[in-house]
Amino acid sequence: MARLKITLLVILLQLLAIDGLAAEQDLVVVVNINNPTSKMSKSQVIDLFMGRYIAFPNGEKATPIDLIDEQDIKIFFYQNLVGMSLARVNAYWSRVKFTGRVKPSVKVPSETELIQHMNSSPLSIGYMERRNLTKHLKVVYALNE
Amino acid sequence: MRSMNKSGLLIRLAVVMVFSSLAVGFISSQLFYRLTYLGEVDKSKKQISELYKTVSATASIAAYLSDHELAKEVVVGLATNGVVQGAIMEFGDEVVSTDMEGKENIIQFDLHSPFEQGRIVGHLSMIPDPAYIQLRAKEIGLDNAKALIAQASAATLIAIIIIYLMITQPMIYISKSLHKTTPGTSKRLIIPEFHQNSELGDLVVDINNLLSNTQQQLAAEQTLRDDLELLEKRFRMIFESSQSPIILMEPRGSILLYNHAFTKLLDKINTDIKKNFGALLGELFKEPETLLKNVRLAFANDEISTGEYQIVSSLDEKPIWVHVVASSIISEDMKEYYQLTLHDISKRKKELDKLNIRANYDQMTQLLNRHAGEKNIQKLIYEKQEFVVILMDLNGFKEINDKYGHDCGDEILINVANILKYSVRHDDFSCRWGGDEFVIILTGVDKEAIRIIVKKMLLKINEPYFLSAHKQEVSVGASIGAAFHPKDSTEMLGLVQMADKAMYHTKQSRASGKALDLTFADEVDD
Repeated sequence: MARLKITLLVILLQLLAIDGLAAEQDLVVVVNINNPTSKMSKSQVIDLFMGRYIAFPNGEKATPIDLIDEQDIKIFFYQNLVGMSLARVNAYWSRVKFTGRVKPSVKVPSETELIQHMNSSPLSIGYMERRNLTKHLKVVYALNE
Repeated sequence: MRSMNKSGLLIRLAVVMVFSSLAVGFISSQLFYRLTYLGEVDKSKKQISELYKTVSATASIAAYLSDHELAKEVVVGLATNGVVQGAIMEFGDEVVSTDMEGKENIIQFDLHSPFEQGRIVGHLSMIPDPAYIQLRAKEIGLDNAKALIAQASAATLIAIIIIYLMITQPMIYISKSLHKTTPGTSKRLIIPEFHQNSELGDLVVDINNLLSNTQQQLAAEQTLRDDLELLEKRFRMIFESSQSPIILMEPRGSILLYNHAFTKLLDKINTDIKKNFGALLGELFKEPETLLKNVRLAFANDEISTGEYQIVSSLDEKPIWVHVVASSIISEDMKEYYQLTLHDISKRKKELDKLNIRANYDQMTQLLNRHAGEKNIQKLIYEKQEFVVILMDLNGFKEINDKYGHDCGDEILINVANILKYSVRHDDFSCRWGGDEFVIILTGVDKEAIRIIVKKMLLKINEPYFLSAHKQEVSVGASIGAAFHPKDSTEMLGLVQMADKAMYHTKQSRASGKALDLTFADEVDD
């Protein structure tokens, strides 16, 4: 029952979220709960997602998880993190990939799958709505802070 | 040609102008080059900034991702640009650079993170290529220099042409005309066209004025010279044609000037011309001491000396006498000269001598006349000499004169006179006292000597004389009286009277038959 209630709430919130996407989304960067890193700066987050670094500040190898296609959350994430449209971010990647030196992030189709992946992968890092946090994950950086 | 003279105005001007325009061109090209170079350096900086802007996105990504390959691509790409000699990218610990020679004038730019403005992820440095900048500056500078040289050449050429037409050509014309003009003639220079009011025109006017002045001056000088020549000619004529020798000499006797008459005089006395005949021509005079004395005395008194002196000559029968006029001349430079003029007075002297003879001698007998006899006696008295006055009167003369005429009487008188002339010594003399009376003066003789002399004389007088006109022999005698000076008298009249008395006594003795020849005055009783 409680589970249903929560599910309903999530649906509601999702609806709300979809509704308020244009305005404000409370996106957070998360890692597995078992990851020793507990807090990251904006730059550290950028460096990991834009391919500069492939490790956490403590030296553990990191795997950034991204979403495919042009999803609202993704658009919002990049807009807020690096101030670029997805088109520009893609252009960047296409240029960087050409040199073959940087490995782009792992792509998952949806936020749900991202959460599932993140739950079991201690060295992954991804972004999601704060309301979708699970107990297996922890916030290392909040975009609207 | 004169106009092509190496040091001619046009050539000099052209050389100066070409050299100065070259110098100005050279200096301004250098200046231009310097400015161009600095401009080019600025330009290259700007270009490099542009380059940075162009590559900054890629470079930022490369630095951000520490992408060595990409960075290499960027720097190599930059280095292909001419203005960039080399490029360096630094990010993290990495340095990516191209090959380069130096690191001067390095220009550094910050490389920002492509995602976070203000986050520096590395540096991009570029080194401008000095050779490239220089080359460009040189190219521009060379173009400028070419333009300047062309401009300067054109300006020089135009200036030379203008100067040639405006100044040099008229100057050469003036110079040539002046060269052909002889000063003193009436020829004048013509003012070149279009220079009526220019400095060259003034120059020609001045030259013409100068030529006029010169002509006048030369004419005046010529007149003066002609006058002087004429004067000199006349002076020379006076000097040369003078019959009297004129000599200009130094006080010590060196002859400076003499005329033709002087050489004629020397010819006459067979003497060659010399530079010096001693002071006042002393060697030529018989008594130079007298001349010198007289002249010095006159000069000492600032007077002209005049006097008559005899010239030394080998021909003693023709004595040469000159009237000497000597004057001292002080020249402008305070030198003293003597001028001597010798007037020949030989002829006059001879005539004077003749006159003297006529005055003192008896024309017929050529014995001294009574007047001269008296003068001589007076002189002997004045000199206090001892002498004797012998008075002689002919006997029988009156009869011959009456019988045969005056001519025969004169013959007798001349005969007696000749006897008397040869009977007395050189220093003694005899004279015709009058009629048939004669006087003989003897010095330094005593009575005995007189007696001998008288005896000799009478012997000759008594000798018969052949009158050729009448073919008849006649004879005369003589009565003689003598008086001594100063024993008998110290006066002429007294002496003559006493001699006359003594002579009368002799004459008386004939009548008394004693027939004396000679009576001395002291033997006569009063």
